[in-house]
Amino acid sequence: MKNTNRTVGTVNDDLANSKRRDFLKLGAALPLALNSLSLRAEEKKKQPPRRIIFICNSLGFYAPYFFPKSHGDLATSEYLKDMKTVQKLTVFEKLFHPGMATSNHDSEKSFLTGTPNPESSNFVNGISLDQVLAREIGTETRFPFLSFSIYNRGWGCSWNDRGAAIPPMHNDEQIFDLLFEEEDLRSKQMQLKNDSKILDCLRHDLAKLRTANAEPGKLDMYTTVIRELEAQLEHEKYWLNTKKPHVEKSLSSDREFEFSTKVNNLFELAKLAFRTDSTRVITFSLDWIYGAIKVPGATGGWHTLSHHGGNPDVLASLSRVEIDILKHFNQFLFDMDQIPEGDGTLLDHTTVVMGSNFGNSSDHICNNLPIIVAGGGYRHQGHRVLDQPTPLCNLYLELLHQHNIDAGKFGSSQKDMRML
Amino acid sequence: MRYFHRILLFCFLASTSVQVLAQETVPLETDLHLATNAHKLFETYCFDCHDGSAKEGGLDLSQLLEKERFDGTLVFENLITARMPPKDAEQPTSAEKRVILDWLSTRQAEDSPSSYRRISRHEFVHSVNDLLGTKLDVVGAIPEDRGTNAFDSDRRIMLTKELLSAYFTAADEMLDFAIPENGFPLEQTWSTNTIKDSHDTYNVYVRDYKEGLLFSWTRANNGNSYSYFYDNFEPPVKGWYELSFDAAKLGEFEEDVSILVYAGKYYYADDRPQPQRLLGVLSVGNKVVKAHTIQGFLYPGENVSVHCYSKHTWRQQQGEQGAYIKQLNVRGPLLENWPPPSYRTVFAELPLHAPDRETQKTDSSSTALQQIGGRISVSSFQEGMEKEKMQDRSNKTFWHTRFTPDVAAPPHFVILENPSQREIYGLLYSTWSGGNGNGQIKGYSVSLSNDGTTWGEPIAQGTLEVMLAAEQEIPFPAKTESKFIKFLVTDAVSLDGKSLASIGSLDVLVNSAATSPTLKITVASSSPDDLKNVIRRFAEVAFSSTLTEHELAPYYQVSLDAFSEHGDFTQAARQGLKAVICSHRFLLAPGVHRNESYRAAANLARCLWLSVPDQRLLDVAKADKLTADSMLAEIDRMLKDPRAMRMIHSFCDQWLNLRSFNKVSPSLKLYPEYNDLLNYYLPQETEAYLYHLIQENLPVSYLIDSNFSILNQRLAEHYNIDGVIGQQMRKVSLPLDTPRGGLLTMGSVLKVTTDGFQTSPILRGAWVSRNIAGNTLSPPPESVKAIEPSANKATTLKEQIEQHKHNASCFACHKSIDPYGFALESFDATGQWRTKYRVETPHQGTFLYRLEGYFELAGDVDTSGQIGESEFDDIIGLKNLLLTDHKKVAYNFAKKFFEYANGYEPTLKQRIELFEMIPDESQECRLKDLITKVVFYSYNGSKP
Repeated sequence: MKNTNRTVGTVNDDLANSKRRDFLKLGAALPLALNSLSLRAEEKKKQPPRRIIFICNSLGFYAPYFFPKSHGDLATSEYLKDMKTVQKLTVFEKLFHPGMATSNHDSEKSFLTGTPNPESSNFVNGISLDQVLAREIGTETRFPFLSFSIYNRGWGCSWNDRGAAIPPMHNDEQIFDLLFEEEDLRSKQMQLKNDSKILDCLRHDLAKLRTANAEPGKLDMYTTVIRELEAQLEHEKYWLNTKKPHVEKSLSSDREFEFSTKVNNLFELAKLAFRTDSTRVITFSLDWIYGAIKVPGATGGWHTLSHHGGNPDVLASLSRVEIDILKHFNQFLFDMDQIPEGDGTLLDHTTVVMGSNFGNSSDHICNNLPIIVAGGGYRHQGHRVLDQPTPLCNLYLELLHQHNIDAGKFGSSQKDMRML
Repeated sequence: MRYFHRILLFCFLASTSVQVLAQETVPLETDLHLATNAHKLFETYCFDCHDGSAKEGGLDLSQLLEKERFDGTLVFENLITARMPPKDAEQPTSAEKRVILDWLSTRQAEDSPSSYRRISRHEFVHSVNDLLGTKLDVVGAIPEDRGTNAFDSDRRIMLTKELLSAYFTAADEMLDFAIPENGFPLEQTWSTNTIKDSHDTYNVYVRDYKEGLLFSWTRANNGNSYSYFYDNFEPPVKGWYELSFDAAKLGEFEEDVSILVYAGKYYYADDRPQPQRLLGVLSVGNKVVKAHTIQGFLYPGENVSVHCYSKHTWRQQQGEQGAYIKQLNVRGPLLENWPPPSYRTVFAELPLHAPDRETQKTDSSSTALQQIGGRISVSSFQEGMEKEKMQDRSNKTFWHTRFTPDVAAPPHFVILENPSQREIYGLLYSTWSGGNGNGQIKGYSVSLSNDGTTWGEPIAQGTLEVMLAAEQEIPFPAKTESKFIKFLVTDAVSLDGKSLASIGSLDVLVNSAATSPTLKITVASSSPDDLKNVIRRFAEVAFSSTLTEHELAPYYQVSLDAFSEHGDFTQAARQGLKAVICSHRFLLAPGVHRNESYRAAANLARCLWLSVPDQRLLDVAKADKLTADSMLAEIDRMLKDPRAMRMIHSFCDQWLNLRSFNKVSPSLKLYPEYNDLLNYYLPQETEAYLYHLIQENLPVSYLIDSNFSILNQRLAEHYNIDGVIGQQMRKVSLPLDTPRGGLLTMGSVLKVTTDGFQTSPILRGAWVSRNIAGNTLSPPPESVKAIEPSANKATTLKEQIEQHKHNASCFACHKSIDPYGFALESFDATGQWRTKYRVETPHQGTFLYRLEGYFELAGDVDTSGQIGESEFDDIIGLKNLLLTDHKKVAYNFAKKFFEYANGYEPTLKQRIELFEMIPDESQECRLKDLITKVVFYSYNGSKP
């Protein structure tokens, strides 16, 4: 029962420390945006920016239909044989997160952190990969990162440096408005001004208590949150001067297949956000509920179906759900690949990671995770079976390096294996 | 070691103070002493089965006991609930048991919980409502932060920037409502007896009748319950409205007819349904028209709609059966008093300047264009289809370009005049709802003019959907104050080759909030001292503490700064109030309190009311007298207060997982009986029942079984109980032959433990095991093949699950899970009684709702099971089995309530104390007593 998070904790501390250094260098309340002001103009002329999206399908994919039957040949995968951007993706086999043997559904919390034993009662998560990336490549856009989920569950893939869940957005209409709808600038300005004053007030109060040395842990935590919110307000203030991009609303409002529509729309929003350079880091959590969902060809409790136990009838329904998800994923990659950018396409400059915390959700097994890496301009291999079970964090570490982040370690990583 | 054996150990267990003393003087000695005795007792009672050689259940206690620190929870729980040693083995005396329990608790490897927690979003909203004198529900605007934790109060939940940011926004929304910058809207009244048009398939269930409308049951074709949207009323601003329906029941049957009242955006056909909120239910049993009134919180853009339900009036198209609604009368936005409670609460005794707020009657037939004094003109019209038909608020009537005697030549257009140059944001367009589509507009452009002759470039153009009849908004890229707006038809449906155009209704979009007259209340003061007092009074309640000048300074300063900047006293106060409710002293509990009583007051109010202390609690706390006796008296008073219902709701939400209740929608193919009305009342039963148990201080055994429940007509129908008329919830004695009674057999609980299709004995069993029986379960062991019942093989369901028996590592836990689920197999996924399973029958094409559903009966339900040595046949047997050990049920309840109140699971030490609170006599073990003891123990640190 002892928490085995030690090494990971240290690693995350390292990351936190390196960030803290940056913070000191720049000054505590300096907005993320100001740092990049002068860079922005130059950047425009240079290479297209690098972007990244992580998608976690919380109930996984039925492995025999997902992985190609013959090594290296995507055409022998029931699920992936129709992928349109087949030249620009790699399916990895034998990746896993160590320390998930008894984690069950809790393993979802660690999909992007790699922190072991998420089921234990004293579990504290680590920072998620997207948040590390957002600090480095997310500073120059209106939104340092975006985080989506299907349902209003309050947590998804993104976890901050204290291991707290960052609540994802789940309402597609609201996300669209946030990204593209003009707001009343005057009242927004006024609100930001007033909020800054309130933050000042709260900080004064904290300073007083701090001298009284009451409950340092609590006050430190609150001080940090205040400082983060302050930085966010500064960032928002900076972006008030830039009009939001205008795009045609292309969200589906099909109510017959609500789940399917939601998946479609969140992919669509991810595409629009990337295309308009509103953000460069996105996570998308395909979370689940006990209740029934309806996709073309099947209706049922997704979770109930996921425990198929090999029953062919149940598998038939489950595969309709999984095919539907991959259909939207396929379309997303295809659309991204249709948008020219620089010397290639938007997809070429966007790393897409699709995967799951489960290798086999029917038996709650977290080995051999289904992982696809697409786009990003890598030399793709279609299907790559690793020699031995390999920590997914090795791939994550490599992704950090691919985005010029000089990290020695991430989560349970051993080394950058240069898989891409 | 041997030496210590001889020391009598019970002396230092006798009282807490002695124990503390003993620990202080000879800590090592007592510790060793305890250990030696415990070891000896383990040897006597446990090692027969659980030593290195026998290792029953995989447990080798002899090895475990060697460790300095280990997790002995399972051993502890089995011992304290008398699950171990087995009944047929030699039993330790209670004193001996206590030694082992004490020792286990000292060995427990436990992380001490965080010293504070963030308050939950529910606590935030209730508290701020009480602080401001408002009744707003803005919980939805704050992210759910509970994660996978069972309780909202869990101390592992961390405050994040995102959450704080959401609290800033929620604070603004609530303050805006309490102390609006632009004043309060006037109260208005509306009367209407017409509804908006809907698809033909629904129109057969409503017809004009006498002075109003007659509705029969109206479940629509594809399973969505279409409800009818009232015309001629739209809330101009968000707020509380009184909706009064003059209605009567028609039909020769005993039961009431129910009218479900919703708020939502109007839609025409259910291929594009809009989400609706159920505001309330009218129970209509009177045959003579009388007023049925509910209050609802409405937002601009919403409409009020009704849906009628009675089991006797399914698709009644003829005859006089159903609900006759003569008229809907609306009044609002409502304020309880004038000046409103928020001003009285926040500004207390300061003199207010409040102008009279008289009821002003709006003309319910006026459109937005008419309200801004506008006019309309058209390129041509056909007789009987004049321009006015676009402005009569009905899309059954329409404007049409001239087609006889000759066909008017294009261009076809409508000009809207805006003589007083009001701000217009766009147009609101509807097709007319009949016809074959001929003449309906496909393309348009909009241009502006200030003289009606010279027109600028089009500011908007686009396409419209035809044959929809729902409203379509045509937003302008920027608002305009132009005097003339031309809506030009650029393309229209032409079935016969002629150039035609027709419109059901056309109106302008204006900001109704901005155009609604408001009344501003001002505080007749410009004194900084007054401002300071306002902030102080508010902060002292919010923080549950008196504040020194020094402590108050930052909160006062932010208001004072605002005051010197713009001189508006009320708005300046707002800044300070917002800072207070975003402060760590408010958001993180416990805060910083002047004395222990203030801290206890804050804890009590948060736990029992999800709020801040009221004046009485604060008065007691100020004198620092919230101790022992007075705390018991306060708990009693607070449990009697209506605000305790919030605790019940919240606790049910968390303990019984009713928060997930609405995430599951039962299949209408399998369970066609299920509907919104039932969905609305099922959780209410559970909450009202628990509230009743607490108010009446009934025995804990009532959680398991009871001879009554709190029901109404719809619930009674669901449970096959006769003679309950009307939808008011009331105490109903249960017939002797019903399986109902107690929590386990409530529809709410039975529904939330399924996926809406099949029932899973495993899911349900785990739910009962954890939440009611209080068994300690471990997660499934590594790499065990899951055994899951398959969806379509109902006959073998139980056999499949019984495979758990054949695998020792599965059975270790599943013997404490599956049997509970078996007993509940008598209830389907909606909680209805069944003896056979329903299996879905395949069908072709679009789902068409029908009363008999799409299923056939297959396979008998087998509800027998075995727990320990005791066998049972059915749910009655299971209840009786659970009732044999009231202490276990009470102990589990106490642990859950402790966790709810404190935000962490009780430590083993605390569990010993909790267990000791439970009386040996079942009849003496009462729910309110138990809650009182747990709360007292939580906040006073000792047992009452």
